[in-house]
Amino acid sequence: MSMNELLGSLVVLAGSVFLFSAGLGVLRMPDAYNRIQTGTKASTLGTIMVLIGLAIYHPAWIGKLLLLIFFVLLTNPVSSHALARASHRRHIRLAEQTVIDKLDEDEAGAMKKVKTEVVEGVE
Amino acid sequence: MDLPLSTITLSTGLALLLVGMWGMLTHKNIIRMIIGFSLMDTGVHMVMVSIGYLSGRTAPIINDAVNRATALQEVVDPVPSALVLTAIVIGLGITAVMLAFAVQIHEKKKSLSIEDCTESKW
Amino acid sequence: MIKRLFILLLLVLFGIMFYNVASHYVEPLELSPLASRYVDKGPDELGAANLVTSVVVTYRGLDTLGEVTVLFLSAAAVGLLLGLSAKASAPEGESKQPKTASSELVQTTVEYLVPIIFLFGAYIFINGHLTPGGGFQGGAVIASGILLLFLGLPLAKLRHTLLGLLESLSGFSYVVVGLLGLILAGGFLDNRFLPLGEYGQLFSAGAIPLIYIFIGLKVGTELSAVLENFKGNNSD
Repeated sequence: MSMNELLGSLVVLAGSVFLFSAGLGVLRMPDAYNRIQTGTKASTLGTIMVLIGLAIYHPAWIGKLLLLIFFVLLTNPVSSHALARASHRRHIRLAEQTVIDKLDEDEAGAMKKVKTEVVEGVE
Repeated sequence: MDLPLSTITLSTGLALLLVGMWGMLTHKNIIRMIIGFSLMDTGVHMVMVSIGYLSGRTAPIINDAVNRATALQEVVDPVPSALVLTAIVIGLGITAVMLAFAVQIHEKKKSLSIEDCTESKW
Repeated sequence: MIKRLFILLLLVLFGIMFYNVASHYVEPLELSPLASRYVDKGPDELGAANLVTSVVVTYRGLDTLGEVTVLFLSAAAVGLLLGLSAKASAPEGESKQPKTASSELVQTTVEYLVPIIFLFGAYIFINGHLTPGGGFQGGAVIASGILLLFLGLPLAKLRHTLLGLLESLSGFSYVVVGLLGLILAGGFLDNRFLPLGEYGQLFSAGAIPLIYIFIGLKVGTELSAVLENFKGNNSD
């Protein structure tokens, strides 16, 4: 096995370890938001590593694989952000160990600002 | 067991047909019946595509991979693929109309169970 | 109870029939005579590299015209069924929640991605005679781009008149191309009235790219109209 093949296969193996840990995280986390976070982070990294390993193994395909990596990096985090926001709007229950809910505080602050502006405008 | 690929695809398509038929006959929710119909559709398409497959040959596109002179010995049958193209589009049209009907039934009767639609019963 | 027994009996009988079919299936060793004729003479007569395209658009072109008609009919049926309900519930529409905009991250990404998806769909149907794909697949990709627009930017509105005009013009032009084939070349939907060109290039295979462009635009705008009907709340 040449150097290219060996290095590429090792990187693909590392990527698959990350993908496995993503699945394990989705299974073991206590509430929906934690599951979204582990699922997205670990699986995006795993996918990127598998694609990089493939690029090392077949250097002729590097252009297409770079485009694929760019696309995955663009869409995966945004879709998980949309999911998390939507589940927060639906008031999905947070885990019992939660200490702070920053999004609640942000939105409450924004509502209070709007209300004070309305009251001052009336006066 | 050394089954050729076309037999595996044929059996999977026929199994999907059976599963879809069971789904359509057993459930009461209209949306589940529509999903069963969609499964049957997919099964039929798989059966049609598997009929045209010949072992060891490649897709019917003549470019660097397939030589024009020896194409007769190297490509798969293109006619079932063309027929399945038409069939998939028509399945989409039917599913769209079925879903529109389901939306209307829900609006008129406030329920999605087929037991409540009794106008056509004797 | 009796009903369940009947269902089980029906499924068992169908299962026996299917098992018979699957176990006696023997793969053929040669292409059938019809397929041999299409594979042999196709590239020389029509100039298209994708043999499935040459079958769908030219050898069996009338079936494709019928398929486009069926798609148009189903889109019209969906518009009829769901358009009536929108009119009926319009007076009491104020009880629905007001739409809020999505967050800025989602908005930016959607605005970045939708033109790329449209470009990809257009690439699929323009290269229909060279690579796998064609009008229907490209039109479906364009409709999925519009679906992303609906999901990511809830306050976006499409212009109905433009969509309707594009759809009707594409369908009409498809039939006009067929008639041109009748007048200028061998028969209805013959593609040889434009020069066949060099094999494997983008501008080759006569009128096949033209036909696929019209089919792709028609299917894309039609499916977008169906999606808009399902979304509801049409204000114009």
